[in-house]
Amino acid sequence: MIRYVRIVRTFVTAEMQTELAYRLNFVLGILEMVLVIGTSIGAVLVLFTQTSSLNGWSLPQMIALTGVYYLVQGGVNLVFSPSFEKLMEHVRQGTLDFTLLKPANTQFLVSTRHFRLVRLVDFLFGMGVVVVGLLMLGDAVTPWSALAFLVTLACGIACVYTLLLTLVTLAFWFVRVDNILAIFWAFTDAGRFPIDLYPGWLRLTLATIVPIGIAVTVPAEAISGRMSLETFAAMLAGTAFSVTFASWFWRRGLRSYTGASA
Amino acid sequence: MSMIAIYRALLLAGFQQMAQYRIQSLLWMLFAIIRPVIFLAAWVAVASSQGGSVSGYTVGDFAAYYVILTFVSQLSMAWNSHEFEWEVNQGRLSAKLLRPLHPLHYAVVDNIVFKLTTLPVLGLILIAVSITFGARFATQPWHVLAFIPSVILASALLFIFGWIVASLAFWATRMNTANTLWQRAAFVFAGQIAPIGLMPVWLQALSYALPFWYMQGAPTEILRGAVTPERAGLIIAGQAAWLAVCYVGFRLIWRRGVRAYSAVGA
Repeated sequence: MIRYVRIVRTFVTAEMQTELAYRLNFVLGILEMVLVIGTSIGAVLVLFTQTSSLNGWSLPQMIALTGVYYLVQGGVNLVFSPSFEKLMEHVRQGTLDFTLLKPANTQFLVSTRHFRLVRLVDFLFGMGVVVVGLLMLGDAVTPWSALAFLVTLACGIACVYTLLLTLVTLAFWFVRVDNILAIFWAFTDAGRFPIDLYPGWLRLTLATIVPIGIAVTVPAEAISGRMSLETFAAMLAGTAFSVTFASWFWRRGLRSYTGASA
Repeated sequence: MSMIAIYRALLLAGFQQMAQYRIQSLLWMLFAIIRPVIFLAAWVAVASSQGGSVSGYTVGDFAAYYVILTFVSQLSMAWNSHEFEWEVNQGRLSAKLLRPLHPLHYAVVDNIVFKLTTLPVLGLILIAVSITFGARFATQPWHVLAFIPSVILASALLFIFGWIVASLAFWATRMNTANTLWQRAAFVFAGQIAPIGLMPVWLQALSYALPFWYMQGAPTEILRGAVTPERAGLIIAGQAAWLAVCYVGFRLIWRRGVRAYSAVGA
């Protein structure tokens, strides 16, 4: 375990050294995120000029949900999506050989190898927005709901991670999977509103094929005290299943990998 | 060689290229549909919670608005800013600048090809959305007639505006922030969050003053049949005014920009 923490630290340090050469990117990244989050919250405020509840969600709860949306996206874009982009390239070019030879868990290495540190900004700003939502909610936050929030948030990010890993694993057979990933990214936008808002077919797509909806909605439900015990249990079970499945699928895919010289 | 012959040759090449990337163009369409459907769903929820309508907008009105908005966005969209930034960054623009044709024409052809190839599929999807949400169009025949100049002006405006933003790449080689600024301004002011009539008054005023609403929201309101003839005339005049301003601005910026262009890597 400590060994894996050290590995991640090495990866982050390596990434930091490259990124520090482009410090202006960080400043611009912050500026862009202020724009993006500011306008997203603006959209929520416009909706709430016409109503006091959106399908049962109050304004503070919706603001917390917006924060969770950027938390999840930031978390995924910070490490998994840059790592998987590189992984697809390695599979295509056959350079995954070098990773396979390393004496550590391959799934771990390919998932955490690259960081897009600018996206840390999204994560922090998302956190800030959640806090604003919580302050507006007042005394509704209990230790139980805070704990449930952290657990479901981790589960949510894990679910999105496993979906991405499964999609990327398809590259072992189909080589080019950029298009499948593009479909995933197209649907992530829908995560900015609670999934119960959408018509049946879209809700089903979001909840099962593209778990981003669940990954955002359930933690937001948890922190605003609207989550039922069944949802919590389903979230834990679903995450356990998808982590097991993705890991199995990854090992299965790896067996089909033919390498650079084959 | 006449301009018509040039365009025929370019269009032919464009369609052949497009035929190679069928899946990609369908995917881009998915991006175009998802966001309007998201906000449509949100407004439907708001309307339902208020007993079926908000400030005079029924569920059917929202559906009609967002279906037409998607249609208009697809008709008027232009992605030159991204492509152009790439060409400047790679120094690829040099070759194009040497040709006797202004780079603008290649972009025009790319746009026409993309739209003609994607619209049939988009049309089917929009019909499905209209039926699902029970869209209610109040369109009169004259609305359709007024829509034609309005959507042409909107496309031209968006196109020229995109080139103004893209021209900034002559000076700044990293354009991400400018693009984000533009996208978010369009998100707020073009009518994506809500039909302009539902925005807070100060946001309405800003939307009418800035060019973004004239790129998407304006033709949408006309085709939806939500405007009187006088208002339609006023809207089209506003679009024409912004187009003139942007065109002059673009000419100025382009001329200075080409001089500043150093062809990265040259």
